[in-house]
Amino acid sequence: MNESERNIYYLRGIPVPETPPPGKDPAPWKKTDIVGTSIPRVDAYERVSGTARYPSDIHLPRMLYAAVLRCPHPHAEVMNVDTSAAEGMPGVRAVISGITSDTDFAWWYSKEIKTKIFDPLCRFEGEEVAAVAAETAYQAWDAVRAITVEYKVLPFIAEESKSLDSSSPLLHPNGNTAKTDKYSRGDVGAGFSEADIVLDETYRTECELHMPMELHGCVASWDNDRLTIWESAQGVYSIQSRIAEILGLPLSKVRVIGHYMGGGFGSKLQPGKYTVIAALLAKKTGRPVRLFLTREETFLAVGNRPPATMQLKAGVKKDGTLTALEFSCIATGGAYPANGTGLVDWLVRDLYLCPNVKTETKDVYINAGPSRPFRAPGHPQAAWALEQMMDALAEQIGMDPIELRLKNIPSFSQGREGNPPYTTTGLRECLSEGAKAFGWEQARKYSSGSKENGHVKRGVGVASALWFAGGGNPPSTAVVKLFSDGSVNLNMGASDIGTGTKTVMTMIVSEELGVKPEMVQIEYADTATTQYATPSGGSKTVPTEGPAVRAAALSVKQQLLSFAAADLKTDESSLTLRGDEVISMKDPLVKVKIHDVTGLKKRGVIVGVGYRGPNPERKVVNPFAAQFCEVEVNTMTGEVRIIRFLGCHDSGRVMNRLTYDNQVFGGITMGIGLAMTEARILDRDQTGKMVNRNLHDYKLPTSLDVPKEMKSLPIEKPDDTANTIGAKGLGEPVTIPTAAAVANAVYHAVDVRMMKTPITPLQLCQALEKGGKEGSK
Amino acid sequence: MTPGFSYRRAASIKDAVTGISEGNGRILAGGTDLLGCLRDSVFTTNMVVSITGIKELKRIDETPGGGLSIGALATITEISESPVIRERYPALAQAAAEVASPQLRNQGTIGGNLCQKPRCWYYRGEFHCLRKGGDRCYAVAGENHYHCIFGGNGCYIVHPSDTAPALIVYGAEATIAGPAGMRKVSLENFFVPPAKEVTKETVLEAGEIVTAIVLPPPLAGLKSSYRKIRSRQSWDFALAGVALALRTSNGRVTDARIVLSGAAPVPWRLVDAENALIGKVPDPDSAKYTAALSVKDAQPLKHNAYKIPLFKGLIEEEVVNISQA
Repeated sequence: MNESERNIYYLRGIPVPETPPPGKDPAPWKKTDIVGTSIPRVDAYERVSGTARYPSDIHLPRMLYAAVLRCPHPHAEVMNVDTSAAEGMPGVRAVISGITSDTDFAWWYSKEIKTKIFDPLCRFEGEEVAAVAAETAYQAWDAVRAITVEYKVLPFIAEESKSLDSSSPLLHPNGNTAKTDKYSRGDVGAGFSEADIVLDETYRTECELHMPMELHGCVASWDNDRLTIWESAQGVYSIQSRIAEILGLPLSKVRVIGHYMGGGFGSKLQPGKYTVIAALLAKKTGRPVRLFLTREETFLAVGNRPPATMQLKAGVKKDGTLTALEFSCIATGGAYPANGTGLVDWLVRDLYLCPNVKTETKDVYINAGPSRPFRAPGHPQAAWALEQMMDALAEQIGMDPIELRLKNIPSFSQGREGNPPYTTTGLRECLSEGAKAFGWEQARKYSSGSKENGHVKRGVGVASALWFAGGGNPPSTAVVKLFSDGSVNLNMGASDIGTGTKTVMTMIVSEELGVKPEMVQIEYADTATTQYATPSGGSKTVPTEGPAVRAAALSVKQQLLSFAAADLKTDESSLTLRGDEVISMKDPLVKVKIHDVTGLKKRGVIVGVGYRGPNPERKVVNPFAAQFCEVEVNTMTGEVRIIRFLGCHDSGRVMNRLTYDNQVFGGITMGIGLAMTEARILDRDQTGKMVNRNLHDYKLPTSLDVPKEMKSLPIEKPDDTANTIGAKGLGEPVTIPTAAAVANAVYHAVDVRMMKTPITPLQLCQALEKGGKEGSK
Repeated sequence: MTPGFSYRRAASIKDAVTGISEGNGRILAGGTDLLGCLRDSVFTTNMVVSITGIKELKRIDETPGGGLSIGALATITEISESPVIRERYPALAQAAAEVASPQLRNQGTIGGNLCQKPRCWYYRGEFHCLRKGGDRCYAVAGENHYHCIFGGNGCYIVHPSDTAPALIVYGAEATIAGPAGMRKVSLENFFVPPAKEVTKETVLEAGEIVTAIVLPPPLAGLKSSYRKIRSRQSWDFALAGVALALRTSNGRVTDARIVLSGAAPVPWRLVDAENALIGKVPDPDSAKYTAALSVKDAQPLKHNAYKIPLFKGLIEEEVVNISQA
């Protein structure tokens, strides 16, 4: 190889990090050459040009199309299903329902209550009743419409506030309470009596739907006893294990492939009934079956962020010391146990220093689709309550909202047993550096001043957050394969759900091996050919997979140095990898080209395996955040415009500034949806059916609903205790404080509290008419 | 997925009229509303007649008397960008610019915007409501956040068009072709309130289609505007909208037109409020007075009382804005 060819592969002259002895953790990176830079996504071309094949692009020879008949009532018993007309229709190859013999498989939203794939008792609108496989999608839908079902329509519950009424129908034999969780520390009674100010408010966040761009679904195909599934999923191994369990198959006989996927936000962590239905139809017909839901179906049956009504009582001393927080919440995970109150009290327990905290959360059943985890489960809801309360307390004691928050920053996790310390917390810097970058003080004064001018008022608001997880954890296995020309394969099981995982992992390999990013090829998200990974969610993909990938790259280096040491008859600890050579640090004349290393030649490749190590003991790894925004409120019409946003985040090391900022802006956008536009609306007083099940009536924010000025300011504190790459999660904290920051800015502008989402002229017009500052009610 | 129908591409207006006269025909122009209605089973059809090949419907022409004739196939984008409309009929250009989203404006036509079906989520959803021939209006006891505060009578839809109120303030007329020939109807009388007939939105009879909208020359010195308030800044119908036209002489209002969108089952003209403005100086006080008068007859439902302060605020703000413009 001549010089110029070598440069195809190697970053010239850049020394790679030290190689630790086998079995030892590597030292934290000191200076990095690739990690932390801004490089475009490694698969940007494929995504933008349309050559990337998503699961919904999969078309197999002889493939059939499936469609599902869903219960049109929120609560009904299926008395009879007549599929005879459908079966005789052109192109129809299979019809299955609760009355066909081959569908008797268990299904569960969580393990407490098992149901069936086609359960005769439908507890929510959209629950599956029958399914068809046909030669075309149109034929499948025509056949679905030809199925006659006799329903016994039952009384329904559409509001969680009515779930526990004695007159309400029972959804499950043991009553309508899915679970009650209680937590207490200190003595809230004593805390409130110490307080100078005590406020007690009720807040509500509406039900929000995930609405990823790519619909939910899969293609299923059998090859004798082996099932292959191409699914739009956040993790292939989680699909594999659940489907194997339901169908009673060995893991080795279920292959799940999920390369590209068009978003999930938590709703694709697990398979759906659609996955099982596709597999059953494929089995019955002996042909591949494609089952992707329609957009309308995804409004009903593939999860949501549970609506939550939260009461928060808080006490504060005049000096800003929080004395007590008492929180209760009633929320609903829908018609089955689905963790409707999961983590909804966490911020109250953990975000601010407070010795006396009591929480009680109740998850109740209603006749609506079961929830699924939604980007930072529980947290944006809690932030809506807690962060508005912090503002209200600050006003009552005449303190700046940021100052009050800064007064109450913990260095350890109070919500966990034994108060374990955080490995790092940048909450203070998120607030103080963010305030500086935002121009908080000036904006706060200027905005207040503008109240005198005309009927369009300006206000600024802040909210902060932490995220319960985000530290990552074992298990994860990654494999790096070094070819004789120095190019590299990275093999990992994790999915890239749009956050840039592939790009970040490429950068880690590139950093360790000194190979150019474009010479790293990734194989990923396939249970047959790539390594084990938990699904991408919980903001844990980078801190989970990153260290495993680094370890795999290090293993390659260790083996390479060991082989080279044998060739060079020297001690491997004196050797280092530089460009396409292994060279002695003592004597630069002692060196060998990679492709001449005997051990590599003998094997053809060097394979390094990396595992995710354990997290530090008795320490908590959490990301922290503060967001700032400025709004303009028209007091005559209740219109709110968001003028600018700043996201200030501590997620440890910034792996790639471009994908980092993408996450921040995406999270803020989603938070604006919660704050301003999104809400599931059920016809609560008549039919219980969802009335806004389309993208026009269910209002996702558009580009005109987000501010032109969005900024991201990372508080970069590499977290060397957390893991070997120093990064914490980012994908979820970015959406936690957003809605609360908007509500606080609206309050600052017009002195009216937004107790409920979404903030629209519907709510604001009436609130403005009523008027009245907090505490003056 | 849609019920079976025949498709025919009309070569002329006459051909189109013949086409839809056979059975239950429907016109396809931009198709942005028709396809949604068919897919959601809002109605069925046995014959879809495309008029997109009829060249004479694609035009915006100045008329000899200084007015304007807009072919039914002129797109919403063409209307919002037309220099002559922007200059002489600014409320119409503003209304067109506020319609839906850029893609829908590029595809949707003025004829379709006036003849579109209501957006009530019961009407569009799996509910056999009064307007679809059922026995009740689900909005009465239902989720009526976006429903009407004026003119509800059995049915409580709001008229979805942004362009209709703007056209009405200019006194526009619809030209209609049908089996019996051509006729003209002023746009103010083009829409059918539920009190008159609950399953119809326009005066179009079987086999009739709108071929053009004719605008008279604008009054000298007329100031006009359209403003729309919505929950989302693009691709959303009006929570409240107002088309306004005022003319003053010696500082006092001589002519006034106020027509609302998002308020009633048809574009809602406020004659009392218009009359109250006449003779007044259009200042903040008279704006406030007019606004209060505008909503005095409102009859809100359970979840839409917010529309009263909203319309009040909107009208007051717009009267002030237009008088200062």
